[in-house]
Amino acid sequence: MKEKKKDDGEMAEELEKNSYRFWIWSIASMIFRFCIILFPENINLSSRPELSTPLTSLCRLAEGYWLKQASMSPYSGSMYHGSPLLLSLLGPLTVHGIEGQWNHHLCSLVFVVSDILSAVLLRATGQQLEKAYRLNLRRLGLLKASRDRGILPCGDIAALVYLWNPFTILSCVGLSTSPIENLAVIVSLYGAVTRRVPLAAFGLIMATHLSLYPATLVIPLIFLLGYGLDAPPRKLFLQTRDREGEPGQDKLTRTTQLPFLWKTVLHFVFWVLVWSIYVLVLCSLSLKQYGGLEEMFKRTYGFILNIEDLSPNIGVFWYFFAEAFDFSRNYFLIVFQIYMFLSILLPLARRLKHRPCFIAFVYLAFSSILKSYPSVGDAALYLSLWALFVNELTDMKHSFFIFCGYIGFSLLSPVMHNLWIWRGTGNANFYYANAMGYACFQFMFVEESVSAMLNHDQALKKATAEMTKN
Amino acid sequence: MAADNRYEEEEEVRTDDGSPITKPRPIVRLGIFLVAHSPVFSVVFSAAGVLALLLLPLLAKNTYISENALMPGSARSMLSNRDASDGSKLVKDIKNFRLNHEGQVQRLIGKYMSEMVAEVYYQKFQPEGNQFHPLHFFSGPASYTLLGNVSCASYGVNVVGIIRAPRGDGKESIVLVTPYDFINGGDYEDLSLGIVSSLFSLLSRVTWLSKDIIWLVADSRYGDYRPVAAWLAEYHTPSFKVSDLLKCDELNTADNFRRAGTVAAALILKVDGRSERFEDILSIYADASNGQMPNLDLINVVNYLAVHRQGFHVKVEKVVSLLSSSWLKIVGEIFEAVGKVANTLNPDWKFGIPAAEYIEGSATLASSLYSQALGIPTGPHGAFRDYQVDAITLKISPGFPPDSKARQHDFFLRGSQLLEGTIRSVNNLLEKFHQSFFLYVLTSPSKFISVGVYMIAFALLVASLPMVAASLYVDGCKALTKSTHNSAENFKSWKWLDAAKQVFALHLLGFIVTLLPYFICQVPGQHSPRNRSIMWGTTSSLLLVTFVTIPGCSPFSSRLHGTNWAILKSVTISAAFIGLCLMSIINFATAEIGALLLVPTCLLAQPIKPALRSRRVKSLLGAFCSMVLVTIGFPVIFFAITKGLVGEGLVGLSLGGEFWTWLESLWAWKSATYLYIGMVHLPCWLLCVCILFHPS
Repeated sequence: MKEKKKDDGEMAEELEKNSYRFWIWSIASMIFRFCIILFPENINLSSRPELSTPLTSLCRLAEGYWLKQASMSPYSGSMYHGSPLLLSLLGPLTVHGIEGQWNHHLCSLVFVVSDILSAVLLRATGQQLEKAYRLNLRRLGLLKASRDRGILPCGDIAALVYLWNPFTILSCVGLSTSPIENLAVIVSLYGAVTRRVPLAAFGLIMATHLSLYPATLVIPLIFLLGYGLDAPPRKLFLQTRDREGEPGQDKLTRTTQLPFLWKTVLHFVFWVLVWSIYVLVLCSLSLKQYGGLEEMFKRTYGFILNIEDLSPNIGVFWYFFAEAFDFSRNYFLIVFQIYMFLSILLPLARRLKHRPCFIAFVYLAFSSILKSYPSVGDAALYLSLWALFVNELTDMKHSFFIFCGYIGFSLLSPVMHNLWIWRGTGNANFYYANAMGYACFQFMFVEESVSAMLNHDQALKKATAEMTKN
Repeated sequence: MAADNRYEEEEEVRTDDGSPITKPRPIVRLGIFLVAHSPVFSVVFSAAGVLALLLLPLLAKNTYISENALMPGSARSMLSNRDASDGSKLVKDIKNFRLNHEGQVQRLIGKYMSEMVAEVYYQKFQPEGNQFHPLHFFSGPASYTLLGNVSCASYGVNVVGIIRAPRGDGKESIVLVTPYDFINGGDYEDLSLGIVSSLFSLLSRVTWLSKDIIWLVADSRYGDYRPVAAWLAEYHTPSFKVSDLLKCDELNTADNFRRAGTVAAALILKVDGRSERFEDILSIYADASNGQMPNLDLINVVNYLAVHRQGFHVKVEKVVSLLSSSWLKIVGEIFEAVGKVANTLNPDWKFGIPAAEYIEGSATLASSLYSQALGIPTGPHGAFRDYQVDAITLKISPGFPPDSKARQHDFFLRGSQLLEGTIRSVNNLLEKFHQSFFLYVLTSPSKFISVGVYMIAFALLVASLPMVAASLYVDGCKALTKSTHNSAENFKSWKWLDAAKQVFALHLLGFIVTLLPYFICQVPGQHSPRNRSIMWGTTSSLLLVTFVTIPGCSPFSSRLHGTNWAILKSVTISAAFIGLCLMSIINFATAEIGALLLVPTCLLAQPIKPALRSRRVKSLLGAFCSMVLVTIGFPVIFFAITKGLVGEGLVGLSLGGEFWTWLESLWAWKSATYLYIGMVHLPCWLLCVCILFHPS
């Protein structure tokens, strides 16, 4: 007993130390961002196709705001394709400047703040997940107090991965709106994990409104609210309960046998409806003179689904649709969008329904590969969500190989772009080959993560089976 | 990539030791086989890479005109004696003009141009000291318009004349450049003006012209490159602010800058020094910054016309010292003998070339590789490449003294006929040059090696890196699993993280060291290159010492983390592989030379402590070899050795000064080689040193 108390004291100390270190590193990341922002503008990151897509470019947003100020539809001229709410939120910041030139420092400040907020929320989410992980292992009887320390603080790791990921830093200082989109996604996850239903619904609606693809998150969010946090498959708990027929234990394990919480889910659906109506009303108000909601749907979601802009990006669609014949265009559009829906969303939802947060990670990763206008900001989001599962994914295979691939292809991308655009000695095939290689490595990453997670579940099963035998 | 694949598959099988392995696919088995025998294969592949590099002159193909529209030499030359005598007249007038000090030569040239119905204007520009902009390496052409501190003390004036094409729509043009020093131009420089003015007088009359012709007489007082770059910058990026330079002189240059559409091609003509032979020699220079070359068709057209129509002796640069080297002669003779043997076996095998030709080819190839690897343009044509314009410099060395009037007329006739033919071919083009190669190296004016061939040599050389990295990774993982039995801390798949941290730390250091010259240049006061290099060296080593003392970053503290050197070496090799592959796309020649240095250093690097302890001859020899390679691999030492081979012995501090000046030239020309040295070569070299002195 005494020993345990001592242990707890040590742990608390360690925890404090960890959180201290976390804050130092996050402040350092903030300072680093400011340094890059204040650096003379000869980096010109905002024009990189890897960072700013037609949807996330702040330059386009400034253009849209200017059009709106001039009493024109912000969507006229096919420059701006984002949300009208973002326009009212960030637009005023883009015009405040010194000596007539628009100054991006204010916007950058907003992005830095949203990055920090995302990191803090990620950390809180991670702490919840870690607690759940610990609890589940204890329930299965696989965790002894002495081995408790082997569990990594995944919240801190995820938050720091988010803050120090070069992709995040680049998209933060490169004037793209993806930090805000990522914040919305993380808010929804945080809300669901901490069971703040209105918040989760708000995050989901905002994320969907901003970039459409997070709409798929509705499945993991419902699972999260209905079944609770990530846990090993339910069968395992049943096994352990069978083994130990003690009444006390029974009480404990029964809680894991929770039925699907229809009430919470209905609550969630209600809030989703409320928030979506709210957002739609706001949008229609702000676009009243310029064609209203219909125009917005056509120019934002239509633009995303139709893949109208074929300028090069790191995705795999622009080249394909630039080459495809016009008469087969619609067919391919439908095939690609349905492919994502049928072959990825539903099977994974069935197979991994006991791990809703992990499903969210997989969905976001897939949407970042198969998006119409992906940027490295999307990769930043799913990589940090991946870090929430460091404890489960310790045995991931080929990690070094995938890591090298990510580094190689992200460095190769600007080189290929330079070869094509500036030197003229390469052509579009070079850049597209790079995009395909990058997509390949992303697929490999997701595939390896999923199989590592399934292997982890297998290993747990094996361990519990052994314990029952004993 | 294939090698990477192998590596991955291999890892899969090895880490699955516990579970039953189903029979893997043949490619996977091949991969496992390669990795399992990686020492043998790495030696084989590296040797094959070096051999392939030596074989390149044999594999060179004859050039051919790829674009059908060019049709060089199919039209009869329209240049008459009258045109040539126009050129002679200009040369004579310039000479008199200069003797009598009648004012600016530019005006005289301008007068001549406007007599030939050309639109004439003058452009003033400022000679600008090249500065170090660390982040400008990969951006587009920088705008040279510095409107701030303009002094009238030093500026240059370009003269430009444009002939509008009777059949064109003003959207395309061809540029002729003659660098000319208006203050102290010599007699030979006058000749280049003579040739182009003969041509110009013809072009003002012809009816077939469909692209406008721009003649730029570049004021080469401040070098050949700068005036051309300044003109191009203003041509492509007009500035709407009025420069103070305009007020400097009575020569009015305001508001009359004229343009003539996209530049299809540019020819820079220089006449200098008398050739040693009796005949006229035409040298072709084509290398632009970072190993970029103009389209091969342009060189082909010029070469074809010069050899088959005008009877010039055409040559490209070569490394003269290689011509007399005995080992190259031996290699050439061996290849010749092998070729002969092969020919007797099967008369269809015709790959042997005479040893003399082989030596010539290798000397040219070496020079091509060297100038591409430096990444510094070999003439004003480099400025055009920044705007994706194909351009070459033609340097003609006449075989007669400048005052020989009789031969001068003939020389003008032939020179301008060559230019006329080239312009006529380019004039036929409907699109910009795209048919032929952009990525190639020359082994003679009529022979080239395309990218598909020379990449083989590089690929063979670096192919051993992923193999060795994979096998080391597997070994290192095994060793670590044995040493740590605590399963809670045993993250099977993440053992490389510590090593990666060290590699990252040293690359970060390399990045900082690369940027340091930018700050050293900002240090107030005049400093000699030697002092600056000392400053650089001391700050870099101080940084290194701080890096080493910070716990966690230091590569020498690895004992605490339990990292063994095999994993560190594996990560190092992977980093070197990525860096070399990236560089091979940016600038092949740099990557090839870098790989020749870095690959053996990385492969042989091993801790010397166990080797010394074991006292076996083999391991002692290995340790000695790696020590030697690491010593040679240090950029400064390598620089000194190359200088020594060329014949300039350098020792002590003067070496530092020389090295600094050399690096300064690299970054002034925005050469990616500088970045390669700082961010790939130096960190990998440091890591090899770490492995060498690893406390294992």
